Amino acid sequence: MRARLAEFVNNVLAVAWREATVMRHDKAFLGTVTMQPVMMLLLFGFALSNEPANVPWAVLDRSQGEESRRLVQEIAATGYFLPPRAVAGYQEGRALLASGDATALVVIPRDFARRALRGAPDVQVLLDGAEPLTAARVGGYIAAVARSFDPSGRALAERTERGGAYAGLAARERAGPLELRGRFWFNPTLADAPFFLAALAGMLLTNICFSASGLGLVGERESGTYEATLSLPISPLEIVLGKLLPYVAMSYVVLAMATLGAGLVFGVWPRGSLFGLLVLTLPFVLASLSVGVLISALARTSAQAVFLTVFVILPSFVLSGVMFPYQLMPDGVREVGAILPLRWYQIGLRRLVLRGAELGDVWLPLLALTLLFAILLALIRWRMSPRLA
Amino acid sequence: MSATGLMDQRASRETNHGAGREATRLRASLRRLRTLVVREARATLRDAFTMIALVTVPLVALLAFGFVLSTEVRGLRIGIVDTSESAEGRRLVADLAAGGQFAPIPFATREAAERALVAGELGAVLVLPAGLARSFGGAARAVDPPVVQVLYDGAETILAGNAEAFLRGLVGQSGARLASRVLDGTGDGRVRDGPGEAGPGSVAVTTHALFNPRLEGVPFMVAGTFGFVLSFLTVLITAVAIVNERLSGTFDQLQLTPATNLEILLGKLLPLGAVFSLDVALMVLVAGFVLGVWPAGSVLLFFAVSTFYVATTLSLGLIFSATSATPAEAVQKTVLFSVPLVQLSGFAFPIPNMPTPVQWLAEIFPATHYIRFTRGLYLRGEGVLELWPELLVLGAFGVALVAVALRTLERRA
Repeated sequence: MRARLAEFVNNVLAVAWREATVMRHDKAFLGTVTMQPVMMLLLFGFALSNEPANVPWAVLDRSQGEESRRLVQEIAATGYFLPPRAVAGYQEGRALLASGDATALVVIPRDFARRALRGAPDVQVLLDGAEPLTAARVGGYIAAVARSFDPSGRALAERTERGGAYAGLAARERAGPLELRGRFWFNPTLADAPFFLAALAGMLLTNICFSASGLGLVGERESGTYEATLSLPISPLEIVLGKLLPYVAMSYVVLAMATLGAGLVFGVWPRGSLFGLLVLTLPFVLASLSVGVLISALARTSAQAVFLTVFVILPSFVLSGVMFPYQLMPDGVREVGAILPLRWYQIGLRRLVLRGAELGDVWLPLLALTLLFAILLALIRWRMSPRLA
Repeated sequence: MSATGLMDQRASRETNHGAGREATRLRASLRRLRTLVVREARATLRDAFTMIALVTVPLVALLAFGFVLSTEVRGLRIGIVDTSESAEGRRLVADLAAGGQFAPIPFATREAAERALVAGELGAVLVLPAGLARSFGGAARAVDPPVVQVLYDGAETILAGNAEAFLRGLVGQSGARLASRVLDGTGDGRVRDGPGEAGPGSVAVTTHALFNPRLEGVPFMVAGTFGFVLSFLTVLITAVAIVNERLSGTFDQLQLTPATNLEILLGKLLPLGAVFSLDVALMVLVAGFVLGVWPAGSVLLFFAVSTFYVATTLSLGLIFSATSATPAEAVQKTVLFSVPLVQLSGFAFPIPNMPTPVQWLAEIFPATHYIRFTRGLYLRGEGVLELWPELLVLGAFGVALVAVALRTLERRA
């Protein structure tokens, strides 16, 4: 029994050594592995955000009073907007919305000043529904400013002092007779960068694992070296595991790069258990690599493998929840996303990195990933065994 | 077979001299083109894998992407720590649950709720103060409003942002209802909606969204998916097809025939362009019948611009493949091109939200302009008058890329 095990380990290591040698000479692949983390880090850290900025808007001020100007000033002070465009009429404002040159149109009624002093002025906001995400947020910001608007002007000085950040708006908000005091845990300013950076390792590893093992295997089948490997006295399981091993090692290097990059450049260090991060990554990487191997087992040419790879990577990004909240997806779509390894990994990553969770808090993602890996391994064995006969 | 056809044409061209040479040359050119188109169409149709990809990928993309963007809140698990233990507190929680946006889960202590927040089990925690009931007792209201605390799970940025706006509205309404009930003594919980509800001194806001009244994500994403499919699938299919042909040597054979580079290029572009135009029609129909999203603007303009855009991206695929030695290299170029495609073209993230230099970068992708066009036409119903700047840029890109594709073919010949 022990001799069998030793032989097994030996065989796996032999295949791993061979695979690592191949990998070391693949300059294009190594280039991708090193360039991609840098590119994604910069993209998600600096460039991409769901938080509205530079929002174009227009104001139709029918009252032309001091109070209305102060309201416009307060809205502008939130920092989400470009300088407002004053329009003379309703039609002109609507035309700006229709051409996308304004996302919001604020209509201030003629009797704004009079009604403001009596207590119930009414302001109309028209939003460009063609940009639903931005429109929904912008509508919320304007409503929040308006609701806490004080026509006498005392509040303005206080708010501009605080810089008018969203956190400031949310911190102390009068909501009718109740005072609602909101606080965003783990991410006080609700910035998008930590949200994306926490899942950065998941995105990188998905890209690399899915394509790496897939391309390798098909290429070998095309060049005939796969048959040569098969003729060796080793089992398909040993081949698969041996092929995966160097990629697992590389994945941990990528994980380290992503974690250090997000920490050093953007200050997003993991708040939870590092050990948990290392443990969680193993079944994810194995499951993702298995997807790659399965693709290469299904594809007949490397062109097909590439095709399949790309079209597994894309839904992974979109449906897993790294970019859009999976919680809001409709029922069927959400369940489809649950068979993607990245879904569970990003859940675990965000818990460990942002919320400061411990290993015990991520048992469910851990279990799901292990299960996925087991299923994929069974599928691979089933798919590859006929070729060995 | 096609090669022999082309040889015949060469023979016929060589015997033709003298008058009407121009007309003869044109006729021969058209004949060669037809041969190439037939050849290409056969090759495409015979490849079952490509055909399946051409049909399924657009449809799957449409259905999957259509639903992913959402500005709403649904079934968000919210922990309730009710230290007031009062009828008012229970009323507030019942109001929260009624809309379906929140699923309240009671917690005995704040520590337990915070623990669940860390574990990612909750989207928010609502802490009702002990003095909640007392505060509604008449005069106390004017002095100091009761403070309801909310802790949001900021780790889910988008959810937290959506939830915050909703919760503020809900608690405000519910609180006003409670207060008015206590003050009026009617107890039926009815309050008028609209202005005045927010209390004196503040400004009531009436909001309308044009073009998409409920601010749904589906039309937005559907319009963007056209850009995604036509930019990405086209480049990938062309790149892979041509590199494969180069590997098998048939591409070099093509270049030995009397067919000119322009003819080879058109012979490649026309059949694939036709297939992708069918794809566009298929997507319009599926988006309309399955997702209920029809273009608000001219369908004819949409088809015309989409077909032209397909020619642009097919040329790009041709360039990628012509400049690569192996399929892997062509594919790497395609993938490298596709990363910014999803992230910088405005497909997923609004371009105005990006820093200014990145915005400039986004402008150099044809997809950015095509997606702007599809959204303008699909959602706002814009026509040529409003969209001409985008159309102009798309036209420039198209001409430039076809020219570069021709040059790369020439260099290889």
